[in-house]
Amino acid sequence: MAVSAAKPGGAPLLTVPSNVKIRRAANNVMTGLLWLCACGVVLMLALLVGYLFYLGYGALSWHFITAPPSEVTAGGGIGPEIFNSFYILCLTLIFTVPIALLSGIYLQEYAKSGRFRQIVIFCAESLATVPSIVMGLFGLLVFVYLLGWKFSALGGALTLTVVNLPALMRVTQEALGSVPDTYREASMGLGATRWQTVVHVVIPSAVAPLITGIVLISGRIFGETAALIYTAGLSVSVNNPYDWSLFHTAETLAVHLWYTHSESLVPDVARIGNGSALVLLIMVLLFNIAARFLGRALSARFTGRVS
Amino acid sequence: MVEAPPVTQDKVVAENVNVYYGSFHAIKNASLKIPAKSVTALIGPSGCGKSTFLRAIDRMHDLTPGARVTGKVLLDGQDIYAPEVDPVVIRHRIGMVFQRPNPFPKSIYENVAYGPRIHGERNRKVLDATVERSLRQAALWDEVKDRLHHSALGLSGGQQQRLCIARAVALNPEVLLMDEPASALDPIATSKIEDLIGELKNEYTVIIVTHSMQQAARISEFTAFFHLGEIVEHDTTSNIFTRPKEKRTEDYITGRFG
Amino acid sequence: MKGAGGFVIIAMAFLFGYLGLEGTKTFFVDHVSPLTFLFSPTYAPDAKQPGSLVFIVGSLAITLFAICLGGPIGVAVGVFLSELAPPKMAALLKPSIELLVGIPSVVYGWLGLTLLVPLIRALSGTAGFGLMAAGIVLSIMILPTVITLSEDALKAVSPFLREGSMALGATRWETIWRVVLPTAKSGLAVAIILGVARAIGETLAVQMVIGNAVTLPTSLFSPTSALPTEIVIDMAGAAQGSPLQHALFSMAFLLLLIAMFLILGVKLALRKR
Repeated sequence: MAVSAAKPGGAPLLTVPSNVKIRRAANNVMTGLLWLCACGVVLMLALLVGYLFYLGYGALSWHFITAPPSEVTAGGGIGPEIFNSFYILCLTLIFTVPIALLSGIYLQEYAKSGRFRQIVIFCAESLATVPSIVMGLFGLLVFVYLLGWKFSALGGALTLTVVNLPALMRVTQEALGSVPDTYREASMGLGATRWQTVVHVVIPSAVAPLITGIVLISGRIFGETAALIYTAGLSVSVNNPYDWSLFHTAETLAVHLWYTHSESLVPDVARIGNGSALVLLIMVLLFNIAARFLGRALSARFTGRVS
Repeated sequence: MVEAPPVTQDKVVAENVNVYYGSFHAIKNASLKIPAKSVTALIGPSGCGKSTFLRAIDRMHDLTPGARVTGKVLLDGQDIYAPEVDPVVIRHRIGMVFQRPNPFPKSIYENVAYGPRIHGERNRKVLDATVERSLRQAALWDEVKDRLHHSALGLSGGQQQRLCIARAVALNPEVLLMDEPASALDPIATSKIEDLIGELKNEYTVIIVTHSMQQAARISEFTAFFHLGEIVEHDTTSNIFTRPKEKRTEDYITGRFG
Repeated sequence: MKGAGGFVIIAMAFLFGYLGLEGTKTFFVDHVSPLTFLFSPTYAPDAKQPGSLVFIVGSLAITLFAICLGGPIGVAVGVFLSELAPPKMAALLKPSIELLVGIPSVVYGWLGLTLLVPLIRALSGTAGFGLMAAGIVLSIMILPTVITLSEDALKAVSPFLREGSMALGATRWETIWRVVLPTAKSGLAVAIILGVARAIGETLAVQMVIGNAVTLPTSLFSPTSALPTEIVIDMAGAAQGSPLQHALFSMAFLLLLIAMFLILGVKLALRKR
């Protein structure tokens, strides 16, 4: 038998030549490094979350969560800001969900190829890459200046719609894509139209990932800032802080945190900042947890299988 | 039908090998002796465990979480499952060719040189010689010698499989395991591979899993029949096909089940 | 339904239209040359000298820092998730990454302010605000993007290739390094490019820790500014129609162009595969 150039060709021993020892060591070192990075990420998250709780715990109180902010004196709260965050969130969802759903259905179920589809996908991907501050300025131009609404909740919501549309479209497409084609074939084979198939078969099967995605994106909308600063504004009305009109100036909690840091004149910036940051974090946690549970519950209910 | 060669020392011996996937008992107490420089075919209906057994020979189950192998597999008398053995060394001495060709998205040269390189060979001249030797042994050299640095993905299916064979023999293994190497290929490519195996057995001990009895009869000297995770019978190929001892073997050979 | 799909097209068109219109007023109305805008370090918009070099350099510097720190770590965790992670670890890691993505950028900024800046101040004796603080915060913020995209790219590599490599006697790391990573090249490039895109556009977290000094960065610890941070700070005080506002819109338009450029980069990377 020809002896190969690589060691240890043909040697009957199963003992480990030095080359293998080094390679095995390199393998173990790199594996260890990878584990380090992964654990590092988890630990870092724990550190950040823990620190936020540590900082903000003292600031939380019923008063803090419900009282209006103060301009100059200490003791302000974030009540109206929380209201505005939810208000804008709901408003944004009212616009974004139908459009994203319909576009997603169109892209996933109807137009499988073609120029129009390519352009739509290109625009969606591009919008997703545009920084939200740029979107905010766009909103400023269109809603505040052009349409003359001044700072308004509606302007903010519409801006956020454009910001989050690509993400929600992708969620819809993936949710619909997770439904096996066999379901569609079975339905159409029974004589249903495509629309009937989509509404009665595909969407119910896709409900779990859809809702999960919507809730997760809601979490992101709740924390959105850059696009809102110059569209929904930096203040709440003193006389009517819980204004339900579409056009009221609506500072959200996230914007308030930034405002407190950068412009505010109150002496207890640290307290308000810590408290606001913690409340924001808790809201995001709640949204994430809700997304998981809803996803699982809906999946079991609508399809009888756990996703 | 290939005539059985004179008896030589057994290259690979499996003793009471069991393979479990979780709680599923896939291979039950399999014992087998493989003579050196011969072709042994593993046949049996699909799902009977022939590929599972084959993979146990070069410790490929180490890569599957949840898989467990008990028993011994002796290579030249030494147990490859002994705790101090590094599977990397085993896989240098036992090569494997898979059912579907899986060339790396690299050049033809780099594919063949991959094995020697990772095991430490750096000398360019040696690598060049090894690549040529391996490609010749795989009957591929003439077809690719002018485009060694082109991507391997540009080759046809049959050529890719021969490339995978070249890649495996580049390490000069002592044993070559082949898991249905021609099942994804057309008849012409298949017969080229079969001719190749006839040549390879002069250098290497070949164990081949095949679902085609005709193929086993054509190319192997010894055959083992698997059924439901057990080795039912193992003998020279001519005996298995003309004078099977077990009824199950006879039923399979005559096509009563498959 | 086609109309719904067309919505994004219309939005895109309007975005380019309006921002392009407003963003080029600096050049057409205030008669500033684009070269001055891009390359002059003198930033005095009201004196018709809106040289944005400081911000461009600042943006590039922090993005480079972020991608050099967050890029490799992100890919490493992506490799971990794709090649090594036992299910329990993946079940811990994935929700963690989801949470990291969900944390609003103001909160990252706040953490940078209260945790990182004092730390840097204590360790280096400088003010603490500046490139390093912004770079570290950005690295953390782009991690989820790079991790998930890398993981996707690596998982797309056929398991048969890994099997083939291991059968030739490679260790797991050798297989990853020599086969899996090179095969996933284009997907990994996309992960990095989109990480860059995220870093360049990030506004608030950066603004809170970068120091906001309109000076070119001279060291890792010197306070400076970036394109988005300048926009968000000065927009409030900019009178409508003033040269300052025009300059800020030009910066926004520049960011838009950079984003488009990166998208084209992604398309190119994907075509190469």
